Amino acid sequence: MEAYVGEYGSGKSENAINRALMLVREGRRVTLVDLDVVEPFWTLRPLKQELESYGLEVLAWERAAVEGFGEVGTLLNPAARWALKREGDVIIDVGYGAGGARMLNLLEGFDTDPDLKVLAVINAAKPMTSTVEEIVEHVRSLGRVDGLINNTHLGSETDVETVQRGARLVAEAARILGIPVVATSALEEIARLIGPRDCMGHPVRPLKRFMPRGFW
Amino acid sequence: MEKPIEGEKKVFMTGNEVVAWAALAAGAEIMYGYPITPQNEIMHYWTRLAPKYGRMFLQTEDELSAGFTTIGGVMGGRRAFTATAGPGNVLMQEPMAMAEMMRLPVVVIIMQRGGPSTGTVIYSQQEVTLTTLGGNGEGFRIVYSTASNQELFDYVIKAFNTAWKYRFPTFVLGDGYQAKMREPLVIYDPEVRGISPVPAEPFLGKPGVPGVDRPPGHYRNTYNTEEELYEVIMGLARAYEAIIPEVVEFEEEAVEGAQLLVMSHGVVSRAAKSAVRALRRDGYPVGYFRPITLRPLPVEVMRRRAKEVRQILVAESAYGQFARLVKEALYGLQVEIVPLFRPGLGINPEDIYSRVQELIKGGEKGAGHIAATHA
Repeated sequence: MEAYVGEYGSGKSENAINRALMLVREGRRVTLVDLDVVEPFWTLRPLKQELESYGLEVLAWERAAVEGFGEVGTLLNPAARWALKREGDVIIDVGYGAGGARMLNLLEGFDTDPDLKVLAVINAAKPMTSTVEEIVEHVRSLGRVDGLINNTHLGSETDVETVQRGARLVAEAARILGIPVVATSALEEIARLIGPRDCMGHPVRPLKRFMPRGFW
Repeated sequence: MEKPIEGEKKVFMTGNEVVAWAALAAGAEIMYGYPITPQNEIMHYWTRLAPKYGRMFLQTEDELSAGFTTIGGVMGGRRAFTATAGPGNVLMQEPMAMAEMMRLPVVVIIMQRGGPSTGTVIYSQQEVTLTTLGGNGEGFRIVYSTASNQELFDYVIKAFNTAWKYRFPTFVLGDGYQAKMREPLVIYDPEVRGISPVPAEPFLGKPGVPGVDRPPGHYRNTYNTEEELYEVIMGLARAYEAIIPEVVEFEEEAVEGAQLLVMSHGVVSRAAKSAVRALRRDGYPVGYFRPITLRPLPVEVMRRRAKEVRQILVAESAYGQFARLVKEALYGLQVEIVPLFRPGLGINPEDIYSRVQELIKGGEKGAGHIAATHA
């Protein structure tokens, strides 16, 4: 069970989706949970059917279910509340930055489930998390975090050095925080150039992009 | 005080974050605001960043108040701004009309959402009429319509200087897609690009005795007689018209030899540009034109281009708000204006490509004429 938290727009959803699909390909039963209580209807909604066609179970709102909700305020999908009790692997995409991370405690079993890992996704090309000190401060603002993922990139202008630079910064931040770096993630073509491990020895997870077809 | 950005830096951000960074880089001293989607993260990021750089924030009770307090900040000589969307933009019109009347350099960022009324919190280009001509005035304002995160950064910085240089309310018109869109851009200290801040100065509380040491500052939004008001409005009109040539901005591509021009603004122009490039590749004589300033519009060049083509396809995520501005600008010309209106919906390059293809194939002597052009 993994919950992906992090700065707004740091790549949480992309990493959560790719991780879930990676596990599905290993023949595992996987549920992907959209836990965005601030903007609950957008993130994975347009992708839900596509992702389900790959064999994932997706807990996200569907258009028909939210017709007429408008600006409803914060809203927790009841199925998401009990997600940690589900059979198989559970990957949670925790929307809306540091504010969103504080909502994790709404999940039943958040404090007691021994299998849950809260992973902070870091893009060191975002100016709020571009130095070791900023990353450390940011991760501390997220509440409980069990590991970091280096997801440093510049979108379509990413090169290998961008990712490696992020790996060095995230590794140093993780050392200060006393938690591991679980992986570096990068677009498939960049991941291929880096190889199975980045310059700091973190395993590299290739990413296929889904979010350009998602919302926000 | 530490500079928010040293030199230049390649980054990856959402549009709303970009606005907060740009306002910092532009030397904005205070933001006044009231939350509304999809501009919320401008406030969120501003409130996170502002304390680090000695800037200020005031959350007001609504957008009326946010607009009037922005006016207060400006009259106190501060580089002040606010940001809003949709129904918030509606409320903002009363203070902005006052700013127009008093020629106050307020800066307002608009992230358009669906309308009318509460509409959607997501996206549209339906705040064009409101932002360019809203309020009970004549639209003496400057409105930049941006299309990318890079432009959001560039034009938010520019907006502060435009406002303080020309003393008209200045708007940066984005939309929900740009607000939430993530893409790479270069952020920079304006000084390294040779952009110096136009200094802000107080309107009120200047030194000296009014009428003795200096002219008195008459900042009024109420007049006693029709003639008095007429004089003021005509003065504003002359001042506004005088700056038009300096202020207007546009972007164009492939206009040479074009028979059809695709006109769009804001984020839709990205789709228009890639559609026009694809159409040109496939041999269609199509051009791309995009006003960056929606108010004032680059009327002169628009009329010149319109005379060179047979048709103009106006593409917008609204039901003709931009087209209305275009028609006014082109009044009296013979060109046919064809709509592609998708209120509250995004427009893709394919939408524009196929519409242009239909128009050209459907036109008299269409295909033959085109073949001749490209022979």
